[in-house]
Amino acid sequence: MNNRLKVLRAERNWSQAELADRLGVSRQTVNALETGRYDPSLPLAFRIARVFEQPIESIFLED
Amino acid sequence: MTSDERTLHPALKIGGLVLLALIGAAVGAATARFIDAAALPADDALNLFVGVVLIGMGVVMGGILALRPTEVPKGCGLLQILVLTLAGIVLIVPIYGTNWLSAEVSMAIVLGLLAIQTVANVMMFRQADEMLRRVMVETGALAFWVLQLALFVYAASERLGLVEGITAWGMIGIMMAVYMVASAVAGARRGLK
Repeated sequence: MNNRLKVLRAERNWSQAELADRLGVSRQTVNALETGRYDPSLPLAFRIARVFEQPIESIFLED
Repeated sequence: MTSDERTLHPALKIGGLVLLALIGAAVGAATARFIDAAALPADDALNLFVGVVLIGMGVVMGGILALRPTEVPKGCGLLQILVLTLAGIVLIVPIYGTNWLSAEVSMAIVLGLLAIQTVANVMMFRQADEMLRRVMVETGALAFWVLQLALFVYAASERLGLVEGITAWGMIGIMMAVYMVASAVAGARRGLK
């Protein structure tokens, strides 16, 4: 699954560590999400959507 | 450019990796020389080597945590250092414990350390975030799959009289070595370094 996490984070000028803090996950998890090495669970996807104030389907895109 | 890219210069990152590789090579060579000089049996040699590697990984983790402290997941870094270090120590105590202590006292120390390590392992799993938990689960699954396959092949060969017996102590060394490799593979798939 593709996602726009890196772009959305860069737009807000957040570091991976800052985003990780906001989501309550590790920096490594944010890195794995951004590089497509890990697809989040539904609860984490909802948290991501809340943090970026966007619907899930505009952040995560099907291959 | 995000602040992540600003904080860790590529040259610094490569330099750090080279330094870690050099330290690893030096510790590995020193351990191999020691094993040669002490003429340890193969099972002791393997467990000593794996024990030193685990303690070394604990030390490196400590260095990384000191250089790049992280609050999330809370306490996971310290628990990982504790788990790695204790896993290394419990592999070394049975080899050298009887040089200074009785077998019973050595075993009591092993059991005590193992209890602490098990509690730390459970705490680490509970405090980890969902991806780190996934890596732990995948490590266990991969290690189990490889080890059951290897055990079956070995057991069939032994039953057929094609290979000699192996000690339980040797099997633990093999299991820990396979687990370390499985952990590295599962971590690398998620981009963990």
